[in-house]
Amino acid sequence: MKTKIKKLLEEGRVDGFFAYKTIHGFFFPYLFTKENMDELEDWKPSSARYPIAKLLLAQARKNPEKTYGVLVRGCEERAVHELYKWNQLDREKVVMVGQACTADLAADCECWKPFPTDVAYGEAVEPVAKSARVEMLEKMAGEDRLKWWLGHFNRCVKCFGCRDVCPVCFCTECSLEHNKLVETDKLPPDSSFHLVRAIHMGGRCIDCGLCEEVCPANIPLRVLYKEVGKLVEEVYGYKPGSDDGKSPFTFLGDELMLPPGPR
Amino acid sequence: METEKKFEPRIVAMLCNWCSYAGADLAGVSRLQYPPNIRVIRVMCSGTVSPHHIVHAFQRGADGVLIAGCHIGDCHYIRGNYMTIKRAKFMEGLLNFAGYSPERLRLEWISAAEGVKFAEVVREFTEKIRTLGPAPSFEASPRLATAVL
Ligand code: SF4
Ligand code: SF4
Ligand code: FES
Repeated sequence: MKTKIKKLLEEGRVDGFFAYKTIHGFFFPYLFTKENMDELEDWKPSSARYPIAKLLLAQARKNPEKTYGVLVRGCEERAVHELYKWNQLDREKVVMVGQACTADLAADCECWKPFPTDVAYGEAVEPVAKSARVEMLEKMAGEDRLKWWLGHFNRCVKCFGCRDVCPVCFCTECSLEHNKLVETDKLPPDSSFHLVRAIHMGGRCIDCGLCEEVCPANIPLRVLYKEVGKLVEEVYGYKPGSDDGKSPFTFLGDELMLPPGPR
Repeated sequence: METEKKFEPRIVAMLCNWCSYAGADLAGVSRLQYPPNIRVIRVMCSGTVSPHHIVHAFQRGADGVLIAGCHIGDCHYIRGNYMTIKRAKFMEGLLNFAGYSPERLRLEWISAAEGVKFAEVVREFTEKIRTLGPAPSFEASPRLATAVL
C-alpha cells in the first residue's frame, strides 16, 4: 500500500484513498490524503471487514467533484459496481485497488467470488459454490423453517443496523420506516420487517454479510439474502455486482421481457 | 347452538382494471356463483402490485392472495404482466424460504370475457386455502426464542 496507493495520491489520480489503518492492533477504515499519506502501512492479509463502500458513498455524496480510491475485497467491488448501476457513484470518480480474501474468510462467508477483478494484494482463492446454510434450510419442512425463522426474528431489536451498514441500502426514505408496513411501536417487529428488507435486497444484495456481522441479535440475515440472491438469479437471470453496467432492476427494456406464452 | 366457528378463508384479490376486474364483473352480471371469501382490490395493472402489498396482506391476516391480470401479450401497459410473473415467482420463493406456504399466493390470467374462469379460479383457490387452513401468523413471539447461533 505504501507504494501503490501513495503513488496514486502523489500523482493526483485520486483526491483521497479509503484503506485501513491499524490502531491498537485493530483494523480501522481510514481515509488517506496527500496530507497523511505517510501513515500508509504495508498490506497485511486480514479478515477485518468494515463498510468501506458505504463510507466511500457518503464522502462521494458530500464531495461530488472529488475522485476517490478504495481498497476493495470481492464483495466491496461488487457493491461499488452495483452503486454505479443505481447511479449512486460515478464510475469516472472511483479508482479501485483489489485485495483477495483468505481461504478461511472465503469459507466463513461461503463467498462465491472472494476476490476482485484485479488483485493487487494477496492470492485469489477458490470460490465457494454453494451455501451449506441455505441448503440446510431448504431441506427443512416448511413449518419447521417458519419456526426457525420466527425463533430468530423475535430477537430483533429493530436497531436498523442491518440497513445502516448495508452498502447497497442507499435510499433516503426507507420502507422499513413506513408505519403501515412495519408498525412503529412494536418490538420485536413481525416478519414483515425482514420480508420487506429481503424484497428490497432483490437485485441489490451483493452478499457481503455485513448485516449479519453487525446484528446485535445474531440473526442469520445473510442466509435470507443469500436465498434472495439465488431467486434473483433464477427468476431474473441476474447476479448483482457484475461489471456489465446493466441491471434488470434499473433498466426498462427488452431485458424485461419473458418469452410470451402461457405460464 | 354452534359455538366453534368454522374456518372461512379470507382472500385478498388484486384484479387488474382492464381484464380481470371486468372478468369478475362479467361473472357477477352473468349471475355465476362463487364463494364470498374474496375481498377485491382493483388495481390499474397486475404490474402495479408491489411485493409490499403481498406482504402487507399476509401481515394483516389474509389467508391467501390472488393476483389476476390480462393474459400475456394483452396487458394494456404492454409489459406490466411480464413484471408480475417475475415478481410472483420471486415472492413465492421468498415466502417459501421464510416458511410461509407459497401456495397461498396465486397468479392467474383472466380476460374480460372469462367470467366463467373467474368464478372457477375463486372457487378452486378458496377450496385450496380451506384445506391449507388459517395462514400462520407474522408475529415473532418471544416465546418462540431459539438459541443464539
Ligand atoms: S441488525 Fe438485527 S436487530 Fe438490528 S434491525 Fe437488523 S435484524 Fe433487527
Ligand atoms: S449481505 Fe447484507 S449488508 Fe451485504 S449487501 Fe446483502 S443485505 Fe446488504
Ligand atoms: S393491464 Fe391487465 S395486467 Fe397489465
